[in-house]
Amino acid sequence: MKRRWSMSVMFAFLIAAAGTAHAADAICPKPSAGNGQVKAVMTAIHALEKTLNAPQRASLERPFVRESAIRWSNLPVGIVPREGLRLGDLDAKQNQAARGVATAALSACGLKMLDDIRTADDVLKAVDERKIGWDSGNYYMSVLGTPSERTPWMLQIGGHHVAYNFTFNGSGAGATPLFFGTEPIHFSAAGIEYEPLVAQSAAMSNLAKALATRPEAKLLGTFTDVVKGVVVIPVPGKMPTGGTDTGFPMSFPTGNSDRGILYGALTPAEQALVRTAIESYASLPGAAITNPLVAAYESSAALAETYLGYAGQPDLGARGSYVRIDGPRIWMELVVQPAVADNTKLHYHALWRDKQSDYGGEIGH
Amino acid sequence: MNSRAAWMLALFCVARCGAALAHSAPNSFVKLSFLAQSVRAEVLVPESELAYATAAEGASEPFAAYLLRHLSAETPQGAAWKVDVRSFSHTTYLEHAYLSAQVEFTPPTGASSGAFVLVDDAVTHEVRNHVVIVLMNGAANPEFLGALQYPTRRLTVQRPSPHRSTTGAAHRAGGADSVAGVAPLPIASRSSMSSTK
Repeated sequence: MKRRWSMSVMFAFLIAAAGTAHAADAICPKPSAGNGQVKAVMTAIHALEKTLNAPQRASLERPFVRESAIRWSNLPVGIVPREGLRLGDLDAKQNQAARGVATAALSACGLKMLDDIRTADDVLKAVDERKIGWDSGNYYMSVLGTPSERTPWMLQIGGHHVAYNFTFNGSGAGATPLFFGTEPIHFSAAGIEYEPLVAQSAAMSNLAKALATRPEAKLLGTFTDVVKGVVVIPVPGKMPTGGTDTGFPMSFPTGNSDRGILYGALTPAEQALVRTAIESYASLPGAAITNPLVAAYESSAALAETYLGYAGQPDLGARGSYVRIDGPRIWMELVVQPAVADNTKLHYHALWRDKQSDYGGEIGH
Repeated sequence: MNSRAAWMLALFCVARCGAALAHSAPNSFVKLSFLAQSVRAEVLVPESELAYATAAEGASEPFAAYLLRHLSAETPQGAAWKVDVRSFSHTTYLEHAYLSAQVEFTPPTGASSGAFVLVDDAVTHEVRNHVVIVLMNGAANPEFLGALQYPTRRLTVQRPSPHRSTTGAAHRAGGADSVAGVAPLPIASRSSMSSTK
């Protein structure tokens, strides 16, 4: 699998460098059945609802309000409890229907990443016996608002290391906030080798390696997590609160100080690496969700104002290594942290935000 | 696991699974208590993140002196308040080591203690993802007031109305927010270091 992904990334680079197609076509060459089309996602949700009992439907269907929308996290459910329909509680028929929803909304890559990250949680459960919620079953699905082809609503699929937040019919395209991470970075389970973030980490590392030759691309400061992620509010002696996207809407860097190097200062080959990195993240939602955003991010005007920066080791081989794409709308970051179950190892956190249309532009503005 | 079970697991974690929060880089927090003539604060700074900040500066002075270079208060018009770091100690929270400082902010003569600008970049000047969470000491749970993240280092704080609701405060990491809260709780203190900037 690792070899297949690596070849895909290489192929994506070659295509992007040639300027003949979007690299995402090669990173994620097999669109899922629904491909993010709202009608397909709605059909799959209605099919799922028919399999659920009343309490399960109540868990699935929640209001499209800020408090529900921002309830995603990168922390285990033992720290930040989730709401929604717990996938681990579903019977075979229900599980198949829920998978139909994910298949309709996600690309094949996005679905595979979800599966692989859930598998990683099961690997952690086996090596870390603390009851903190490592479990592939501790992933949830929520439908916020009423699925419609016209009015705004959201589909959320997430758990410990995945937060898919897709908004349909919003004032802006709604692929974000999109958080993903993995611990372990590499692992094997049932004789299969996994590396859930190989496409994204390889793309960001290749970008960082190119940037490392340019001093102006090096970001100042230290990075111990993603910069625009969730915030836990400690309450000494008690359970912390927060741990969700309470900081939304975020403020982002402005001006040209300490943001890295501008896209226009890079060579064509380096610029291709930027686009490949963008598309490695953007290939996770179905194409109908993500294509408008990629088009916006890769317009000449947007790229001309897009900064690329890195810190730490470009090969992402040490904690504190960090890569960021920061444009008029785009905010993509990846950071290397110590692993939790075994702090001699490392793990990744990655975040994609859109400065204009997180939550489809429907929340908090 | 339904929501109730998830919350039960969360409560279990308070005592038993703190290391999971190592998953999240620890943040600083400042708990404020409004007194008649001053504002007292419990300032907790995670030692792991502080180490990055002091190393970046090459700082070798005592923690209290370091804190006084990075923590201050001023009137909304810009006049400096007196800052006393009365004591500090080591503590842990969910397996993260913290330095806990007891700080007293005193306004200049004639100025109200009910409104000030809190300035803090003890860690945020170096650690880009670090957030300073500002809380109001309350009878039950501290109320969330606002947050600071690089490059923002100033937070406007106002004494709360006693009749104001204490729920629903929002936060904008990286931006300046304002404040409100509930009845103050005095904090025992003893003199250590002070400054007026």
